[in-house]
Amino acid sequence: MLNFPIWKVGLIVVVLLWGAILAVPNMFSDGFLGIEPKEVSDPTNEVAVAAYEQQLREAEDSWWFLPSGKLNLGLDLQGGVYLLMEIDPAEIAANRLETVQSDIRSALNRNPLVERNPPVQNEDRLTIEILNPEEDMDEAIRRLNRINPTIGTTQTELFRVQQTGDQFIQLTVPANARTALATDAQAKMMEIIRRRIDPDGVAEISITPQGDNRIILEAPGEADPKRIKDILGQAGRLTFNMANLDQSAIRAAVVSGRPSPREVLVDSMEAGQILINRIPELTGADIATANRCFDEANFPAVCFRLNSTAATKFYNLTRNNVGRNFAIVLDGVSMSSPTIRSPIPGGNVIIEGRFTIEEAEDLAAIIEAGELPAKLNFLDERTVGPTLGAESIAAGSRASMIGLALVGVFMVLAYGLIGGFAVGSLLSNIVLIIGALSGFGATLTLPGIAGIILTIGMAVDANVIVFERIREEQANGRSPATAIQAGYERALSAILDANITTFIAASILYLVGSGPVKGFAVTLAIGILTSVFTAFVVTRWFTVLYLRTMRPKRLAM
Amino acid sequence: MLLRLWPEKTKVSFMSLRFIALIISSAALAASAIMLTTKGLNLGIDFAGGAVIEIEQPDDISAQDIRDVVEPLIIGEVQVNSARGTGPNAPNIAIVRFKPQPPVGDETPDDAQNRAGDEVSAALRELIGAERFQIRSEASVGPKVSGELFRSGIIALTVALGLMMVYISFRFQWQYALGAVAALFHDVILTMGMFALTGFEFNLATIAALLTIVGYSMNDTVIVFDRVREEARKYKKLELFKVVDLAINATMSRTLLTSGTTLLALLSIFLFGGPVLRGMSFALIFGVIVGTYSSIFVASAVVLLLGIDRGDKPKREVEGFQGVG
Repeated sequence: MLNFPIWKVGLIVVVLLWGAILAVPNMFSDGFLGIEPKEVSDPTNEVAVAAYEQQLREAEDSWWFLPSGKLNLGLDLQGGVYLLMEIDPAEIAANRLETVQSDIRSALNRNPLVERNPPVQNEDRLTIEILNPEEDMDEAIRRLNRINPTIGTTQTELFRVQQTGDQFIQLTVPANARTALATDAQAKMMEIIRRRIDPDGVAEISITPQGDNRIILEAPGEADPKRIKDILGQAGRLTFNMANLDQSAIRAAVVSGRPSPREVLVDSMEAGQILINRIPELTGADIATANRCFDEANFPAVCFRLNSTAATKFYNLTRNNVGRNFAIVLDGVSMSSPTIRSPIPGGNVIIEGRFTIEEAEDLAAIIEAGELPAKLNFLDERTVGPTLGAESIAAGSRASMIGLALVGVFMVLAYGLIGGFAVGSLLSNIVLIIGALSGFGATLTLPGIAGIILTIGMAVDANVIVFERIREEQANGRSPATAIQAGYERALSAILDANITTFIAASILYLVGSGPVKGFAVTLAIGILTSVFTAFVVTRWFTVLYLRTMRPKRLAM
Repeated sequence: MLLRLWPEKTKVSFMSLRFIALIISSAALAASAIMLTTKGLNLGIDFAGGAVIEIEQPDDISAQDIRDVVEPLIIGEVQVNSARGTGPNAPNIAIVRFKPQPPVGDETPDDAQNRAGDEVSAALRELIGAERFQIRSEASVGPKVSGELFRSGIIALTVALGLMMVYISFRFQWQYALGAVAALFHDVILTMGMFALTGFEFNLATIAALLTIVGYSMNDTVIVFDRVREEARKYKKLELFKVVDLAINATMSRTLLTSGTTLLALLSIFLFGGPVLRGMSFALIFGVIVGTYSSIFVASAVVLLLGIDRGDKPKREVEGFQGVG
């Protein structure tokens, strides 16, 4: 126990240095290092932007010897929005089944004709009536099986075809298809969410899946959850429909509540309600790009460009319908219903409305990102403003300093010089914790800071157990060297048993906890490992060094 | 002269106090059970669902003004609390809380919760004025997640207790495991009772605190048990009652020192760590005190009651990090 061969000393020094090096970047702010990204004064000046980026890269390179990992601050410390969202697998299944309805219709109508009534969809169950079941049933089932699509990259088929009763076929979405749909939709939606929230790809947002139908969004620095929810709450289903602005027709439809079967009544952003064709001419999938622009009166507007096939289609549509109106409909609301004055070539379209710049930008992001395959339900939402975050950091570091000082004074009072060694190893313990957290890229939360402070209090435990043993052995008349030897040997089993049990608690916390609590578990677990190391190895090393150099007759403790 | 929290070489008979301790513990457990069933826990939104909005409150806006604009939007009770800002320029704070909202029309309960939250913050923004309106924090938890969080919290506690029990049976003997788990239940129930009594908010951070208490109390218990095991092996003929006393006396100085340093650290969180950590550090402070008590008077007393296997060759010992003693 008192032997420290050179390789052991080397190992201790390496571990401590490694911890220190990993911890060091946290002492410097990006501003101090000159690598803090700033707004370039004129973002349109490409030369200036490139020069600035070059300068930033060079500044970063000049610090090559520092590790890049810094402690990530949790949202509760740096402020931001946390949002837990869920998609309903049944809804996805129903939506997907709806999209294959036209395929089903054309498959069954192909020659030789299989007669049937229009299919009836009830949630995620589709019932098809076959009028001549004796002749057509088998053929219909065969055709339906042939058009059964597979989901995403998996080989899972969307529906199961079953005959029910004499003349009905029922299409159901089996459980494995639902899971595949949900996983597929989850991945798609994460992508759409990213493009909507962060169209330029500059923000530090994190979007992570949870389970197979949940998504967690974390947006540091964002202070307005409402805006995010507004952007994500829209399905983003954009269509171009021919519109009917004839006031008498609209009034008749409003009064009767029943427009002609080809038309539907929708709210208009411009005025009241208008009639549009039930079947759209173009959809959001036909749009290549969308961005915020300004209209002729210099109001913010949304401009978008159709892809080439759709542009041709749009040109033909406008050429054939000069004088009539078309409507750009987003989630069942007409955004704009201009009159076609002349054929429009090129596929460039503008939506004018009295938007603010931010509204126009958000709308462009929604249109470009595309339609969400299902509605997002917001289950859990947490926002921390920047002031509270800063206050929490201040309070947390104040509490750590005071806690550390109190514990240090207490240890020196109780064990004198050897207590001082324990304080030294306590400091190295904190450096190791911070180094390990930075190295793992773990997130420091406010409960995490509490975990570190608690570790400060508990880390001395292993030292205390050893010191008490040494005291006892010395009281039994042993020399300092043998007392220290015996003290460490006898304390080992107690220290390991005690810390393993606490480690079990920390692991469980990590596995089932979420957000800040997980952060607490990580610091607690790391703290247990480092405190056993520092108490059992670092303090012992200090003590042995003292023993060798000073050769005390008796340990004052 | 160095500080001594406990004199050297004492022979206090802790175990003769075990019946008094039994009465005290039973009374405290009964009181906790009564508090938990009658008054109940003040469940935070993590577990009860609902919303909490914390904003800066300008001097010319009173809590009553806030209540007046929020109440018409909310079904059920609305709590508005004002808190003085700490620090020279710190603004005053208003905290608005309300329970989960019932759905209207074909809304889901989660939608209803969201809508209410949005409406309330819009109304507050209008009352205070957009340029002065500052959200400090906002949280809205739907009924679906709050139920899950509560279940996962309970599961965490149970699984942790179970695993620790297995570990202790493996390293010691089953009697020790029962003693340790009895002590842990004692600590957890008393801490929860304390939360019911004081009305401190019971939330996810409290579950974290409870698990830490479990870890700490177990730590403390293991130290005493380790010594009991050692002394029992050393003095084979000594009756168990005296062996346990010997072990407790020998570890008492360590127990007090460690509790002391841990409590110092926790007190600094409680006093200086800001309002967010107050409930958590309160739970930890109480738990450390109760956990220290229970290692001696619950865990050790149960071991004494059950007796231990003191054959010449301990059956459940495993090779490994066994000390020389």
